[in-house]
Amino acid sequence: MSSSNKKFVYGIFNDDDVVLDAIASLRAKGLKVKDVISPFPVHGMDEALGLRRTRLSICCFLYGMTGCSLALLMMWYMNIWDWPMDIGGKPSFALYKNLPAFIPVTFESTVLCAAHGMVITFFLRSKVLPGVEPHIIHPRQADDHFVMTVQAKDDAQVGQIHSMLKAAGAISTKE
Amino acid sequence: MNTESNLRLPLILGDKTLHDITDDVCRPIEGKANKWWWLAFTVSSAALIWWVICVSYTFGTGLGVWGENKTVGWAWDITNFVWWVGIGHAGTLISAILLLFRQKWRLSINRSAEAMTIFAVICAASFIIGHMGRPWMAYWSFPVGNQFGSLWVNFNSPLIWDVFAISTYFSVSLVFWYSGLIPDFAAVRDRATTKARKFWYTILSFGWVGSAKNWQRFEEMSLVLAGISTPLVLSVHSVVSMDFATSLVPGWHTTIFPPYFVAGAIFSGFAMVQTLLIITRKVLNMEEYITIYHIDMMNRIILITGSIVGVAYLTEFFIAWYSGVEYEQYAFINRATGPYWWAYWSMMTCNVITPQLFWSKRLRESVFATFIISIFVNVGMWFERFVIIVTSLHRDYLTSSWVMYYPTWVEVGIFIGSLGLFFVPFMLFTRFFPVIAMSELKTIVKSSSSQAKKKKMAQSPSPSTPINHE
Amino acid sequence: MEKKYWKGVEELRNEPEFVRLRDNEFFENLPLDEVVSKKASSDTSTSRRDFLKFLGFSVAAASLAACEAPVNKAIPYVIKPEEITPGVPNYYASTYFDGNDYCSIIVKTREGRPIKIEGNEMSGVTKGGTNARVQASVLSLYDSARLKGPLANHKPAEWNTIDSEIKNKLGQVVASGKKIAIVSSSIASPTTKKVIADFSAKYPGTQHVVYDAVSYYGLIKGNELSFGKAAIPSYHFENADVIVSFGADFLANWLSPIEFAKQYAQNRKLRNKKNMSRHIQFEANLTLTGSNADNRYRVRASSMGSVIANLYNKIAGATGGAVVSATSTSVDKEINAVANELINAKGKALVVARSNDPNVQVLINGINSMLGSYGSTIDLNQPNMTRSSNDEGVGNLITDLNNGAVGAVILYNSNPVYTMPSFKDAMAKAGLKISFADREDESASFCDYVCPDHHYLESWNDAEPRKGMYSLTQPTIQPLFSTRQAQESLLKWADAPVADYYTYLQDAWKGNTYTMQTGISSYEAFWAKSLQDGVFETATAAAAAASFIGNVQDAASKIGKPSTGVEVILYEKTGIANGNQGNNPWLHELPDPVSKVCWDNYFAVGPVYAEKMGYKQGTVIEVKMGNVSIKGPVLLQPGMADETMAIALGYGRTKVGKAGDGVGVNAFPLVTMANGALKYFAAGVTVNKTVDDEYLLASTQMHHTMMGRAIVKETTLSEWNKNPRSGNPVLKIETPYGKKEPKHVNLWATEKNPGFPKENHFWNMGIDLNSCIGCGACVVACTAENNVPVVGKDEIMRSREMHWIRIDRYYSSDTTKENAQEKNLGKISMYSEMEKPTADNPEVVFQPLMCQHCNHAPCETVCPVVATTHSSEGMNMMAYNRCIGTRYCANNCPYKVRRFNWFRYNENEQFPFNQYDNLGKMVLNPDVVVRSRGVMEKCTMCIQRVQYGKLDAKKEGRRPKDGEIKTACSQACPTNAITFGDFNNDQSEVHELFNDPRSYHLLEELDTQPSVFYQTKVRNKKAGKEA
Repeated sequence: MSSSNKKFVYGIFNDDDVVLDAIASLRAKGLKVKDVISPFPVHGMDEALGLRRTRLSICCFLYGMTGCSLALLMMWYMNIWDWPMDIGGKPSFALYKNLPAFIPVTFESTVLCAAHGMVITFFLRSKVLPGVEPHIIHPRQADDHFVMTVQAKDDAQVGQIHSMLKAAGAISTKE
Repeated sequence: MNTESNLRLPLILGDKTLHDITDDVCRPIEGKANKWWWLAFTVSSAALIWWVICVSYTFGTGLGVWGENKTVGWAWDITNFVWWVGIGHAGTLISAILLLFRQKWRLSINRSAEAMTIFAVICAASFIIGHMGRPWMAYWSFPVGNQFGSLWVNFNSPLIWDVFAISTYFSVSLVFWYSGLIPDFAAVRDRATTKARKFWYTILSFGWVGSAKNWQRFEEMSLVLAGISTPLVLSVHSVVSMDFATSLVPGWHTTIFPPYFVAGAIFSGFAMVQTLLIITRKVLNMEEYITIYHIDMMNRIILITGSIVGVAYLTEFFIAWYSGVEYEQYAFINRATGPYWWAYWSMMTCNVITPQLFWSKRLRESVFATFIISIFVNVGMWFERFVIIVTSLHRDYLTSSWVMYYPTWVEVGIFIGSLGLFFVPFMLFTRFFPVIAMSELKTIVKSSSSQAKKKKMAQSPSPSTPINHE
Repeated sequence: MEKKYWKGVEELRNEPEFVRLRDNEFFENLPLDEVVSKKASSDTSTSRRDFLKFLGFSVAAASLAACEAPVNKAIPYVIKPEEITPGVPNYYASTYFDGNDYCSIIVKTREGRPIKIEGNEMSGVTKGGTNARVQASVLSLYDSARLKGPLANHKPAEWNTIDSEIKNKLGQVVASGKKIAIVSSSIASPTTKKVIADFSAKYPGTQHVVYDAVSYYGLIKGNELSFGKAAIPSYHFENADVIVSFGADFLANWLSPIEFAKQYAQNRKLRNKKNMSRHIQFEANLTLTGSNADNRYRVRASSMGSVIANLYNKIAGATGGAVVSATSTSVDKEINAVANELINAKGKALVVARSNDPNVQVLINGINSMLGSYGSTIDLNQPNMTRSSNDEGVGNLITDLNNGAVGAVILYNSNPVYTMPSFKDAMAKAGLKISFADREDESASFCDYVCPDHHYLESWNDAEPRKGMYSLTQPTIQPLFSTRQAQESLLKWADAPVADYYTYLQDAWKGNTYTMQTGISSYEAFWAKSLQDGVFETATAAAAAASFIGNVQDAASKIGKPSTGVEVILYEKTGIANGNQGNNPWLHELPDPVSKVCWDNYFAVGPVYAEKMGYKQGTVIEVKMGNVSIKGPVLLQPGMADETMAIALGYGRTKVGKAGDGVGVNAFPLVTMANGALKYFAAGVTVNKTVDDEYLLASTQMHHTMMGRAIVKETTLSEWNKNPRSGNPVLKIETPYGKKEPKHVNLWATEKNPGFPKENHFWNMGIDLNSCIGCGACVVACTAENNVPVVGKDEIMRSREMHWIRIDRYYSSDTTKENAQEKNLGKISMYSEMEKPTADNPEVVFQPLMCQHCNHAPCETVCPVVATTHSSEGMNMMAYNRCIGTRYCANNCPYKVRRFNWFRYNENEQFPFNQYDNLGKMVLNPDVVVRSRGVMEKCTMCIQRVQYGKLDAKKEGRRPKDGEIKTACSQACPTNAITFGDFNNDQSEVHELFNDPRSYHLLEELDTQPSVFYQTKVRNKKAGKEA
């Protein structure tokens, strides 16, 4: 068994509302509820666990901006700077003159970069990638069971955590 | 925990528990396919093979094997392209726009609708490549320089806008779809009994365990993706419509096209969803998840968009008359009374008249009627594109160039084959992928499932009793 | 100080090895000797480098071989180069005469290959004009159906053996006291006539029978009867103010169309003058000439004689002459009016008739002499020598043959078995049958010996189209096959002292033409000059009035009386004519100017009559006349006379070659003898419909009316004289800022910023719809110049013709926007009514249409890969190898001038036309890319010619002169309807034309700002006399 402060206790629940109440009561009792694995997103879970708001949307915005400016740069370079041509007598002297024709591509590539940037960030940040070995505590954790991870201060506390979890409504507990 | 009024019909029937849902959704993956599936799969594979034959023949011999000519440069090829792209739109619409509008009933249909989107867009793309005189040069339409590095693409051309729109649309829908699949793959993985299944679904699920933080990010991502997919899906068909709107062919050169095409796309998309799901729910016994209520809801959208399309048709005629432009006026008179009148009137019947039947609740809630009408709409929307493309082109400005267009067996073959190109992957999807987004569906078991309603009834008897269908 | 650059370190270090190698041309020595000796292929190890060297060598060798100067003493037209420079064309003056068309030409050769025919402006006859047949003749040179050598009894043989056999057989014939008949089409070459004379001298009893499939005997005979002069006069349409033609298609086929078209246009153009000639046509079928007429009246062929007689009487009555007996006809009223017009134009009038009946021609001559046309519009002192057919002679020959009086028949440029079915059995009776045909055609295949003649581009010859006007034919390429010039064969068989026709020709000229001039003292110089100019023309006696001695009463009594029942007109098409270029795919693919149908002939039937008889387009009918029966499809043709059909001659060849065999039906069997002359319409025929036999005709135009759109703008002379913009009002568009001209309603271009300026050149093209007669010479010229593929009937039926320039033909419609109200028609029924052309007698307009080179080009904007962009000189350019074939440009082109390569037309067994077998490929213009499958193509305004012209000018350090650079179409046009030039040069003709109030841009409301503009068509219609 590893060093004491790495000691985790898992409570297995089978109802999301019970889990939410449990989190509240256990945290009130000063227990450190690390995480809850659930088969579906439980509303209010992040508040209950006191998780910070994710900044994915901000990344998304930044990626979008990048895509937007890249597109404009590309079109300006290709059609106006590198080789301006007389195409149907339309002006290809300045970006602003050609802008109306450039809007669709600008928009599309904004979306392209925003979406893919965000998804990739999500995968990397959450270490959700092909080949990652899943950490399975209970075989039905993606089906209908909820796994609450509680960190024990020291081995002494482990025992009482088990009972507290049971008390809070866990159908079973394990280490 | 969110609650909802009992007046709302349950979205999940048959008193499902979370575990039941998992079982039901995984059953097709874990069990054996029934004979209906095999029948459908064989038929669509045959079509796919036919597609391969016809396309190879065209590529090998030249576009001359089609019926197009000096005046009618586009016909079935682009008709099919627009038709398929249009169909694709429903998927994104359901999963993105309905998510923004918090329409819970999307949950049991969005997965397969998105799958439909992906495969439809693949079909559409195949027609973009296929209609080129030199398809092996197709990559020139991406912004890569020529051998000397300085000859780029023409960003004034709507076709380039298309290239960007379609590829963005395809790849974004793909990640949207896949990221949603990951938790469900995890569920399949965790209950996998065979080694192979364990192995494959471990890879597919990217090692997902639904920890609180991941779910938080996951939901954020879905929301934002929905947020940006909504303008995307609207833009894509607008851009497609600009292929016509920005040209000067009478009958194409129409500013009403973008909204009109988008409405049409949603219209045809939902019709195709109906066609598919009515079969799927039967073949995979999903009647308790894809309920009459779902069908009714979609029928309402068909009714609305169908009416929008109808109004657009009339507006076109009004504007043609109001503009006083000789060529414009003739283009529309020719549509309705010219040599292709039959195409125009089949379009009108299928797209404007039939959907109006959905004002009747009985029809909206009849599976059979829905199926028939959805087929009508699919046909009608195909004719809409045919009418716009062919009847506008075959009689444009100089009467000396007016000709008729007749398709050849190859064009017809490629179209029929493309149905195979669509259905083969879709059939495989129903066998190997969770056809219902169970992790999302589970979130509403407590609020919108039949037994949840019963429970609430028991606690607080409400004025109305929920009708239990079937 | 002078910088020094090294080729490499070796040179810098100057190693001995380098020094040694430096002096060799190739770094390593080429194993060429091995290549030449068979060894190379077998046992030498050939590395890639070596292979490339071989390749280089063989290419060089090949081109050197090709660069060999074509023939000794051939003098280039412009400058005499030391030897042919690869890549630089040489031009040789020559003459085209096939027994039908005469044309003095310039032959463009590249690396020793003739690739293009242009008109010779030095000729006083054709004055630089050409027509479709002359333009296409270069392809017939590379026809793989031509014989590769002489045949004896259908087996290849040696010339020597053949000569000796033929000679002693001819000897036997003479010994047996039988005749030798040389049957030829009209011969314009005095020297060839001399050769025949020599031959006849050697073989007494030789008889030269001139037989033209399409004969002008009636004209010759008529003049003999009228003036005691068996000759065809030359006509001067340019001097005529009133032209009346009775079925004579003088702009396309009659007598000397190239010459007449030029003359005709001269007096139709409205540049710096206020009036134009007036042209009235009486005809039974709608001909090209008829469709250009100011007034056209429909007359049944059988009534034509009476109509002419009536006209004669009217004029005679007015000028105090004796009248003749004449039955009244349906057009008496019109004839009165026409007669008055003619009389008012006395001395400036011209009346012509197609009829081959001498008596009719006598009446015509009578009319003309009463009108004082002789001396002004008709010139008997300088007769037209290109026709000498003798129908009676042919008749007699057949009789002689049948009663075995003829021992030998020699066919020269004549195919009687095809054109005169009765000839076949007659000819069989002759013991010895020889043909000079270039292929084993219908007649040659019945001959014991076929001694193939050279193609005219391989031959020496001369011609005398008009008395005292000579021109020379010179070879522009070595004979491709072991053929021999017919004249040479005759000389050989006649054991002439000089058997070499080149020398013979020179001697002839020394003795004859050389003596006619005094300017040049040395014969060599004279010969060189004549050869270089291509023509030698002597001043002849001025045209003068001729005293008419014809017996009109007698003539009038003999002319055919109007008959009832269906009549079949036998006419010639602009492309195939009498069918002697029947294997030329360019001509088969050239749409008929009026019906727009190609690759077929057909019975043209008026819609009214067709409806009465229950015919539809494509219904196959059978026309029976005696034991002759012809089956052919029906084409609905407005403008036909009542109960009249027309079918073109020259089709239905069976032994002409891949391209031509079995195209259409042979209508020659319907030609009969009447008044001792061949008659080109068949009366008293029975027609029956062979049921459920739908035949598909390939047409390049499916819709025939303008639907009330201002596509071809038109006005009348009187209107135009009142208001020069009549028919072409200034177009204004409603905008928020009031009405504006389209070019001022623009997103970008403003006065301050005019868009893309054309600083250097701005190439423009003006097309005068008043001069364009729709003959199609430009179409074939463009095909030849730009390697336009021939796609064949099947593709044309799918509307996939590839012509870069097309000629749109529109019929007038009974319903117009204006009269729709009176007819109280709603919009829908109005449009469906406007789709129907006027059935009985529509007005016809022609409009040549090629890429308009829009400066705001819709096609350019939509191309995803910038395959089509605009040049700084105002041309819309097409980069074939960048095109990926989306066809968006073609869809977005309002003029529909873009052409797509649906197949690999240039190499595809599906399209087995001359141009694309290995021999035919020699006709391709090396300056123009042969387009591959899947790419778009279109008119380039002959950019290769423009570049060439600019370079030429640059070499001389000057700007191109106006008119120096010509596109293929503008150069070929016999009426100079197409003008090409630099708009920026305000002295240029095109600039001047553009400022003419008649000028307009097609579909101006779209503001595509084309570089091509048109000029309103003006009809010289007399008010209240519309046909």
